[in-house]
Amino acid sequence: MSHENTPASPTGEATESGLEKVWHRLVETFAALGTVLIGVLMLIICADIVARNAMGASLPLVSEGGALLVVTLVALQLAATVRAGRMARTEVFIVPFTDRFPKAGAVLEGVYDLTGAVVLGIIAWASIRVIEKDIAAAEFIGVPGLATLPTWPFRVLILAGFAVAAVEFAVRILAALRRGGTQ
Amino acid sequence: MTPFDIGATAIGVLVVLILIGMPIGIGMLSVSLAGVAFIRNETVAVRMMTQVANDSLEEYLFAVVPLFVLMGLLVTVSGVGKDTFDVFQKLLRRITAGLGVATVFANAVFAAITGISIASATVFSRIAVPEMRRHGYTNRFATGVVAGSSVLGMLIPPSLLMIVYAVLAEQSVGRMFLAGVGPGILLALAFTVTILILASTRRGFVFEGGDEAVYEDFSPLEIVFKAVPILSLMLIVLGGLYGGFLNPTEAGAAGAFGALVIALLRRSLDRKTFWRLLVETGQITVSVLFLILAATFFSRMLALSGVPRELAEFFLSGNIGPYGFLIAYIVLIVALGCLIDSISIMLIVLPIALPVAEAAGLDLIWFGVITVIAVEIGLLTPPFGLSVYTIKSAMDDPDLKVGEIFRGAVPFILAMLVTLAVIILLPSTATWLARL
Repeated sequence: MSHENTPASPTGEATESGLEKVWHRLVETFAALGTVLIGVLMLIICADIVARNAMGASLPLVSEGGALLVVTLVALQLAATVRAGRMARTEVFIVPFTDRFPKAGAVLEGVYDLTGAVVLGIIAWASIRVIEKDIAAAEFIGVPGLATLPTWPFRVLILAGFAVAAVEFAVRILAALRRGGTQ
Repeated sequence: MTPFDIGATAIGVLVVLILIGMPIGIGMLSVSLAGVAFIRNETVAVRMMTQVANDSLEEYLFAVVPLFVLMGLLVTVSGVGKDTFDVFQKLLRRITAGLGVATVFANAVFAAITGISIASATVFSRIAVPEMRRHGYTNRFATGVVAGSSVLGMLIPPSLLMIVYAVLAEQSVGRMFLAGVGPGILLALAFTVTILILASTRRGFVFEGGDEAVYEDFSPLEIVFKAVPILSLMLIVLGGLYGGFLNPTEAGAAGAFGALVIALLRRSLDRKTFWRLLVETGQITVSVLFLILAATFFSRMLALSGVPRELAEFFLSGNIGPYGFLIAYIVLIVALGCLIDSISIMLIVLPIALPVAEAAGLDLIWFGVITVIAVEIGLLTPPFGLSVYTIKSAMDDPDLKVGEIFRGAVPFILAMLVTLAVIILLPSTATWLARL
């Protein structure tokens, strides 16, 4: 998507400050962790199939853990998806509009990014309560005595994912403002 | 304002936001947040949204999305698509417009191991189009066939759209997969008939110049060798699913693993490519699942507002009736298909339409098949025909105009409409296998 002038684009690279580079790395790291989880998901499910068909018993934790992994990997990769401009949206209006009126188009994009930052920010902030509850109740998945995993580390990753995505939306607004200022 | 007014306003605002280009997931979340805040209050709204964000995707079933996407991308790089096409062109080269028919069949078979239309469109625009051009087919027809038959990818199981529908309609994914088989074969036949009619009545649409080019020849042994990978993947996924050995998530994992093994055996996968595919898988997964998350909140907000209930009353108490509703629904979806991508349409429309369909006593599996085909027509219609743009970018040919591909796809849109009519008139084409 050519109109998505993220700081990763060649034009933005030159003006990327040290802080932005660190932030960029953080988003990439989160995404890479999420990417690895996809591979992990495939392997544990395959291991479960083999165990069930060869030994007649499902592996513990796979179905519950798989479910938790799905939410976690989505949250972890959300910021990178935002950065890459891969969130699903309609382009029938915004693309020709931005071509015609670059300033107004940028303002509109800014409004969308702001909405994204606010909504995801609210989710991240309100998720703190979810983590507190999970820790207080010592929530876990699995079967006691066989294999269990506490759920709170996943919850922390999910919260972090949403928080990073919210900030990523905000970073896009700042980058757009600075581009507007230097033009 | 009554809750109904709030719900109706929310739908209107959402449509406007989506049309002016707000990311659809963000639009749904913010509109639903405001809706619940007005119907109840802010605290309830924030709690509901947070709960949805943390819990709605926590389903083992959703692991099926990244796994089938990964499998689709892996078979795309491993050359399995080319082999499938080779097998069919060897078998069908003697009939008129045989390469066109071969493309349809190769797509139908390829569809059985991949769940995304985009994968099919990418693969076959690079394989089938150059081959057809070499044999004197027009650019318009060659790209049109690929665009048209790529929709088979979402109808013949495994299918991402079927999974999304099954989740929203609370139907079994396995049953939805089965329900796609009959209509998928029907659509492939409709495409074949369309090609044969075109080749005999409008030669100029199909051919330019004669065909002197020689066909690549394969010995029977080579054909068998080429057919083995795709057949074994089909056996793993479909056999596992319907033989009862695997649930859909496991079929996805086994299929992805199988595709990985094939790609590695053929040395078509280095570490860098594999990582790129995983990243791509992640991005597709996030955009799909984030939409599902947002749609879950949207449909809960709608349920609070009572809009779907009132809509059901409107359609079913007056003289419009279930079939009137169905027609209006299909027209709406096809119209939206010109603007919005497939999965987004389903996630916007289904929370509103499903309660109505349920109240009307429609078979939800049949309704799902109709939905998927209607949504898929949108892949071929301008200005936002995703399959068409995929072909354009995969071909990388500056002389190929997007309009030309759209025109080439028109006969196939007509074939889809006819198939849709047949399925509406004969529901058993979709439900027979699924209800067995």
